[in-house]
Amino acid sequence: MKPEPINAGPLEDRVEALKPDDLTRALEEFRAVMTRDHAAALASCVHCGLCSETCHYYLATRRLDAIPAYKLGLVASVFRRHEGLLGKVAPGWVGARTLNHETIKAWIDALFGRCSLCGRCALNCTMGINITAAIRAARGVLAALDLVPPGLKSTVDTALIKGNNMGISENDFVETLAWLEGEMQSDAGFETARMYVEETGCRMLYTLNPREVMFFPLSIVAVAKIFHAAGESWTFSKDGFDVTNYGLYDGSDAHAGTMSGRLVTSMERLGAGTLVLAECGHGFNSNRWEAPQWLNRRYPFEVKSILQVVAGYLRDGRIKVDAAQNTQPVTLHDPCNLVRLGGIVEEQRYLLRHTARDFREMTPNREHNYCCGGGGGQLAMTNYADRRLEAGRIKADQIRRTGAKIVAVPCHNCIDQLMELNKHYGLGVELKTVCELVANALVVEP
Amino acid sequence: MTLLTWGVILSAGICLVALSALVARTFAFRAPSSLAATQGSAARGMRYAFGAGMLPTAKESARDHLMVWVTGMLYHAGIFAGLFYLAFTVIGFLPAAIVAALRVLIAVGAVAGLGLLARRIALPHLRQLSCADDFAANLIVDLFLTAAVIHSFVPTLRGPFYLVAILMFLYVPVGKIRHCFFFFYMRILFGTFFGRRGVLPHRGVREA
Repeated sequence: MKPEPINAGPLEDRVEALKPDDLTRALEEFRAVMTRDHAAALASCVHCGLCSETCHYYLATRRLDAIPAYKLGLVASVFRRHEGLLGKVAPGWVGARTLNHETIKAWIDALFGRCSLCGRCALNCTMGINITAAIRAARGVLAALDLVPPGLKSTVDTALIKGNNMGISENDFVETLAWLEGEMQSDAGFETARMYVEETGCRMLYTLNPREVMFFPLSIVAVAKIFHAAGESWTFSKDGFDVTNYGLYDGSDAHAGTMSGRLVTSMERLGAGTLVLAECGHGFNSNRWEAPQWLNRRYPFEVKSILQVVAGYLRDGRIKVDAAQNTQPVTLHDPCNLVRLGGIVEEQRYLLRHTARDFREMTPNREHNYCCGGGGGQLAMTNYADRRLEAGRIKADQIRRTGAKIVAVPCHNCIDQLMELNKHYGLGVELKTVCELVANALVVEP
Repeated sequence: MTLLTWGVILSAGICLVALSALVARTFAFRAPSSLAATQGSAARGMRYAFGAGMLPTAKESARDHLMVWVTGMLYHAGIFAGLFYLAFTVIGFLPAAIVAALRVLIAVGAVAGLGLLARRIALPHLRQLSCADDFAANLIVDLFLTAAVIHSFVPTLRGPFYLVAILMFLYVPVGKIRHCFFFFYMRILFGTFFGRRGVLPHRGVREA
């Protein structure tokens, strides 16, 4: 079965227009992004094929080009051709491929179009190969050639140029927070609650997904209420508030470093003690685990997920909750970048067990959970939307089997994808962040 | 020592030198940095990677393909037994009890190897994933195991056994059999990655 031709219009034209010098540059970039760990990974796949059914793209389509080993093989074949002995003298014998126009098209189609960088294959690889990391490195080569699919590229460009991925201006951000503060103060028990901006010397600098500002303001209010109830010292930065980092997805360490660097600059400017990351899977993985490498520095401050912070409040008795406020059956989606690749596994469960009367796990769950299909920049790459929805069927089936009416989703990217799956597959569920459920269950003194 | 015995020793030496060169080449690529504060434990992750983390209980891909996993384990056990057997024949130390035990392991390994080869040929997606090297590597090792079993019954057939062993040793560094080294490195990286991040080893249901 041959992969479908890429459906990227001008992008395909750009690939066709690549000159020999560009291909040489691509190869140089390929060598430059390779670490010894990548090199070892690309030499290690034994093509056992056992990774196939760990991938939601393969499970949904049963296509050869959705198999993780196939996708890794696209990258490994170039590595073998240019770096291996047999790949140079007998490329056909070891399946080595030259980095040419056709290879690059195949890379774009499979590495961007059929992978959400969820890491489930890596967890299940019999060798232990970090397939995700190798695919991201190859995406980085494409990014260096300006061959990132248009939707993802424009998201990255917006974040690089305007400071956040929605292009929200400082004024709009501050005004929205002021409006939300007013709304929040009209709720009983929160009359003195604040949305702090640009406060210096706070314990915590809180970040958010710019989509919350535009489309999901209640999740911002939820966190502010929890901070208020816990008596926390916290603030937003007016210009370094975007927790997202699509540089993780376009594969460019330079882009990713620029985005994460803004949060570091805000931390240092405002003198906050802990960088608190909103419920955002890839934002957590980026800023907690990857950014120090991108920026080549150890952070002098702590980086935490809001879920760790809120679980700490509950454990320490700084907030009180009443599970009777959330009576509908609730299940939990485990975002790949937060759980499997991020290590935030139990905090959300601890919170839900205390704030929802009927909490039900999906099967499988925790680090074994299936990707919803929205990661890897898939939501931004509209040219692959059909594939994304098709691959999301695995998650939709998982949700349906729980019988839950509410899905707690600690990631705004996942929420966007699950909203589409909810509609497409007729799930009839309500989607909420974990903090929204906690805020709803807060017991506050009048 | 016969010429063929020297041939086996020499090819094994070449194999080791070539593998070392391959390792050196791999490590010539830049080292990745690891600057984020650790949440879990890399050491625990590594222990897990070489222990429970390899079992079907921990790995869905193994659990859902239990026969393939068991076959693969038997195949690799047979390969190690075959290499031990070869070493014993080279040094001329062949106690009957050890030969009998190794023979069983090697024979089972050979059958397992052929089974995996048949699977690779029979399953369309697996066949399409494979290149000539995948088939050749399997076949060479199967041939080595078969020759070892035959030799254990008919010691006069040392020539063909050693010739196959020489061929195998020379093929190891250039084809996919080189994963014999990379497997260990990959498991270390796997354990370090998930261990540092506090994802694995899975601690079961736990409070935050």
